Amino acid sequence: MIPAVNEPVIEACGVTVRLGGRPVLTDVGLRVAAGEFVALIGPNGAGKTTLLRCLLGVQPLERGGVRLFGGTDPARVHARVGYVPQRLAVERGFHLTVREFLALRAPGAGGWFWRPRRRTDALLPPVVAELGADRLLDAPVAALSGGQLQRVLIAFSLLTGPELLLLDEPTAGVDAPGEQTFYELISDIHRRHRLTVVLVSHDLSLVHRHATWVCALNGRVCCEGRPDEVIRDDALRAAFGLQVTSCTHLRQRHGHAG
Amino acid sequence: MLAEPFMQRALLAAALLGPVCGLLGVFVTARRMAFFSDTVAHASLTGVAVAFLFSFAEPALPMIGVSLLVAGLMIWLREHTRLLNDTIMALLLSGSVAVGTVLLSRAQGYRGELQRALFGDVLAVGPLELALAAGLLGLVGLAGRWRLNALALASAHEELAAVSGVRVRWLNYGFVLLLTLAVTVSVRLVGILLVGALLVIPAAAARNVARSLRQELLLAGAFGLLAGVAGIAASWTWELPCGPAIVLVCLACFGLTLAAAPAVDRLRGRR
Repeated sequence: MIPAVNEPVIEACGVTVRLGGRPVLTDVGLRVAAGEFVALIGPNGAGKTTLLRCLLGVQPLERGGVRLFGGTDPARVHARVGYVPQRLAVERGFHLTVREFLALRAPGAGGWFWRPRRRTDALLPPVVAELGADRLLDAPVAALSGGQLQRVLIAFSLLTGPELLLLDEPTAGVDAPGEQTFYELISDIHRRHRLTVVLVSHDLSLVHRHATWVCALNGRVCCEGRPDEVIRDDALRAAFGLQVTSCTHLRQRHGHAG
Repeated sequence: MLAEPFMQRALLAAALLGPVCGLLGVFVTARRMAFFSDTVAHASLTGVAVAFLFSFAEPALPMIGVSLLVAGLMIWLREHTRLLNDTIMALLLSGSVAVGTVLLSRAQGYRGELQRALFGDVLAVGPLELALAAGLLGLVGLAGRWRLNALALASAHEELAAVSGVRVRWLNYGFVLLLTLAVTVSVRLVGILLVGALLVIPAAAARNVARSLRQELLLAGAFGLLAGVAGIAASWTWELPCGPAIVLVCLACFGLTLAAAPAVDRLRGRR
């Protein structure tokens, strides 16, 4: 079910995380409405990936809370959430094929071990072919190129027909043309599948072109707003640590929490 | 050979434990846990010493107890300290070998027991070991039926598995429990020094020719079975210690599959 417009898909409030005694996120708030394409930007170590892990429910919080689809237990909404990690560190000799990898999560395809390959292929949802991952089914996951792996990971994340897609620097290790293609693909998926997308990225020009909302982090939310409002010199200075308060008005103006 | 009850038990135990170790070995190598299995194997030396000193009728029980304790300690240290995995395992491996050797040295005539523990013995397989091996194969079968997808996904990416609804922490505890039991029961047959080979080599041999996880699991189980049975038969025929005989068959499987890999690839290419 697609949530009603403006009903928040994500509500994070006062999120505070310390890793190894060091504060990584302090009092971070984020509110994402259904259908938005949100980019989390910030320098290395700004806590972007940590915030994404908090949203996924795999990072313990020191303070604060996260609600996905109005609930606080991420285990209850896992089928509604797709996640694309930076990469898979699959051991080179582990011969998990793309077919087997996709069958691990595809509804109804769980018994792949006992089934002929063609029957497993027939059980994979159409999104696999839509993303061109059907041409890679026999390939070992560990042997895929950066671009191929991203397609497979996106297909994997869409297997259960999620409403929310979270991507952690998905173009790390992909060349510049591949990065461009990737963002166009995500934009297309966002539009056609009517998804809410939250993406961690370094590439400001691509974020500017594709995101509908940008949140700049540097341990806390420095500023957030529409891309042309945030991706400006003063706002970026704030996000990247030189000046911290310059964009607060944007958040107030748009009524976003944080 | 089959007329002797101890050989019947040893053959049956090898036929049960070979596939168990082969199948678990696929995930042990994928999850880089070979050092973990070596550590729990060495920890069982303290169990052997406890059994010898206190005249336990069934040495398998204190061995399993000590190995599970050390496995639990490894997990606790990993979750509650900043020590790296390798450091924790080196600490516990050398610690348990030192404790086991000191305890054994307090007993008269410990050298024979030490050699049996290190290199394995067909005579060490009793009804309890056989029952444990059968139970383990059953457990691995059940785990394969119900948790194969979760284990494969967690082996590829733990966070992705967690987000897909897998309780990764409990899955890891279950895998560690199963692996510790498999290692400790196999130690009786193969020995502390060589049990790691029964986990790693069948999986490595399978990888030489497999092109999917399904093939890898099936071949690793088959190589484990072959190594166990042929190793015991070779040990009887040529009066060899059984642990090294099993490992030599494992190595032969590895060598053959390595040599056959290019031909297998060519055959696949033609299809």
